[in-house]
Amino acid sequence: MADTNENQKDAPNPGRRRFLTAATSVVGAAVAGTTVVAMIESLEPTAAEAAAASTSVNLAPIEPGMQVTVPWQKKPAIIVNRTPEMLATLVEAEQKNLLKDPKCDVPQQPPYCRNRFRSRKPEWLVMVRICTHLCCIPHYRPKPASVTSWWLGGFYCPCHGSMYDLSGRVINGSPAPHNMAVPEYEYSADGKVVTITSMYKKAHLC
Amino acid sequence: MSRFGDWVNERFPARKMMREHMTEYYAPKNFNIFYYTGSLLLLMIVLQLVSGFLLMAHYVPTSQGAFDSVQGIMYDTKWGWLIRYMHVDGVSLIFILLYLHIGRGLLYGSYRKPRELLWIIGYLTYIMMMGEAFFGYVLPFGNLSYWAGQVITSIIHAIPFVGPGLTTLARGGPGVGTATLQRFLALHAVLWFMIIAALIVMHILALHEVGSNNPDGIEIKDKKGPDGHPLDGIPFHPYYTVKDIFGVGVWLTVFAAIMFYAPTMHGVFLERTTFFRANPMVGLPDVTPPWYLAPYYAMLRAIPNKYFGIALMALAITLPFLLPWLDRNPVRSSRYRPVYRTMIIILAITFFTLAWVGEQPPLPKYFIIERVGAALYIGFYLLLPIISSIEPTRKVPERVKS
Amino acid sequence: MTRKAWVSAAGGLLAWLVAGCAMAAPQYSFSKPMVVAGARLFAEHCSACHSVSSLRYNRLSQLGMSKADIEKEIMLPNGANYLKGMEPTMNMADATKWFGIPPPNLSHIVRARGENWIYTYLTSFYWDPKRPSGWNNHLFPNVAMPNILAPWGGTYAKNGKLLQQGLESPAVYHRQVAEIVDFLRYASDPSVFERHAIGPYVLGALVLLTLLAYLLKREYWKDVHHGTSGKKGNGTKH
Repeated sequence: MADTNENQKDAPNPGRRRFLTAATSVVGAAVAGTTVVAMIESLEPTAAEAAAASTSVNLAPIEPGMQVTVPWQKKPAIIVNRTPEMLATLVEAEQKNLLKDPKCDVPQQPPYCRNRFRSRKPEWLVMVRICTHLCCIPHYRPKPASVTSWWLGGFYCPCHGSMYDLSGRVINGSPAPHNMAVPEYEYSADGKVVTITSMYKKAHLC
Repeated sequence: MSRFGDWVNERFPARKMMREHMTEYYAPKNFNIFYYTGSLLLLMIVLQLVSGFLLMAHYVPTSQGAFDSVQGIMYDTKWGWLIRYMHVDGVSLIFILLYLHIGRGLLYGSYRKPRELLWIIGYLTYIMMMGEAFFGYVLPFGNLSYWAGQVITSIIHAIPFVGPGLTTLARGGPGVGTATLQRFLALHAVLWFMIIAALIVMHILALHEVGSNNPDGIEIKDKKGPDGHPLDGIPFHPYYTVKDIFGVGVWLTVFAAIMFYAPTMHGVFLERTTFFRANPMVGLPDVTPPWYLAPYYAMLRAIPNKYFGIALMALAITLPFLLPWLDRNPVRSSRYRPVYRTMIIILAITFFTLAWVGEQPPLPKYFIIERVGAALYIGFYLLLPIISSIEPTRKVPERVKS
Repeated sequence: MTRKAWVSAAGGLLAWLVAGCAMAAPQYSFSKPMVVAGARLFAEHCSACHSVSSLRYNRLSQLGMSKADIEKEIMLPNGANYLKGMEPTMNMADATKWFGIPPPNLSHIVRARGENWIYTYLTSFYWDPKRPSGWNNHLFPNVAMPNILAPWGGTYAKNGKLLQQGLESPAVYHRQVAEIVDFLRYASDPSVFERHAIGPYVLGALVLLTLLAYLLKREYWKDVHHGTSGKKGNGTKH
């Protein structure tokens, strides 16, 4: 009797065979797939790349009204120490309806810079100074009336005449389509050093 | 699907290959645990290829940059530690498998006619893998890498006539440096690896031509059923494929446990001295090879004369090629040859004792072990023709035991 | 040899591998809080001279330290970059002049020497007026490094006699040395916490795969035990 039971238990079972084949394949594929994902991730930029791609700037020597240009990822990044008068022109530009995108609806800046000043702290502007029209480098023209009679201060592109306010917001009538790009950056704990870490992914340079 | 399959198979022999090597390749049904090693070796080689490719994507082959680039993989690359541990621990695991695989061949007489060429191709692959491991060993350019590179390239120096020229050719300069790293990388990742891959393909083709041996050493092709298939054979697929998947599961569990919990295996798989930067001015307390090369290194040290020591080592490495002709007994498997089996057990103990002593500092107290070990190792091959012709054998059964 | 013998041989090999894993278990407690405490002590006492160039400051955030904490407690006011490796304040050329050799980079020191060696080394200094620095070491004779931890651990003579009491009790002091060693162990292989966190899941998945594969193999091999393996239509679908 025990013998027949044994025989029945030992008989091939096609259903069980199919189920085990499927289960082993699924678990095997999951293990292999996870490994492949890890291996592909290993080809992403390393921490060394990230460190080399970031630039730190000491803010102490930058006087009010002054612009400093630093090479960052082979692009001109600027830091401007804006005075209260300069910040006031940003409101004025909005009131006079001079701007294409005054509310910064196009994601040309990280979410934490989506404000009138396009910055983490109102006075400090951190921006990539590349015209969104055809990649020229606009001039810094902070003095009122230095470009046109109504000029409030801002950036003026010598190539095709695009104009921006002191937050890098593009002025109506310019060929440039968007505000200039603001990269990702952060302050040190004491607020004395700015580190530009990476390009904001959604922003277009030109 | 089937029409597409036909279209492909009229142009590429996919189904034919599947039949020849899987579904209609009949393997003996009495394979034991040793017979997992072949498929596991194939898996490990593929993992080495993949992890090696990913390492090379980050590696800088210069004497200034190599060490930092390898450490950069460990610190700065996402999953870099996993990839490097996979590659490094994989080497030791491959050699564990290789020694089991070769030991199996000895135990069951798998080198005997008609499998002489299968044995020679396999043994050549093993020698090539020792070279591959050595090239890889130098690349991270820790201090151990540097001195291992110096020592091995000076061993080449002792080869009569061509030695000095070969050493310069290997180093690409007066010492081990950037030029050495660049040519070692090229060898390790391209030429040497391609040769190993080709040898593995030849090994499998030769195996499928002559058929697998088995623990009883009985030729299963001699007893065929009415359908023309061996009575003691079963199709490789699905029976050995499912069995090998189980083996792969066990093996990968062990492999993962090592990578995640003991990646340096206490300095055995990844030596402490590889974590010092290469320094030509500072030698190591003692230069010892990795465990899998240590038996030969011990034999090198057994004779206190550069040329004879190297000659002894070369003899020890090349003698196994002659094994198919040194064994003169009509019986294959050691299951039915008690004397031969004792000899193999002594050979295995000798080999691993030599591996242990090869890792020790070169002190006089170890000389006796090195010399006895070398004598036993060489003695096995020299005595085999005599002993195998006179040794008593047990009766070999007609069919395999299952 | 019997099948049993082979199984036990394989079991022995497995046991050796498992024993190797177990041997790698820490000799004393090794945890994130210990490493963080060690990092603070290292920054305070060691990193003026020693770099840990492979370890980036921002890596410490994986241990639960905030960026502000790292900048305040770990980074030295030497222009250190949060995204870059730990560098000393001391000029290496000056250091070479003072000590004869530059203080070594400690990135891989625990991997190279072992944590027990480092611990023993740090606790084996003795007062030796014959040395230019005034210090010598039982484990590393005539070492160039002075015992900078002496104010906390106390000053001992070669024969082990206490010459001057330290600020810390021996128990606290030894724990602090262990914390520094733990930090260096982490610095030698910062993947350790990641490995130990995901290891159980990886092993679990592989054990499950093995188990399923074993059942699958047993199911298929019923054919072999029934002697139907060679026949058409049984098992082989191809």
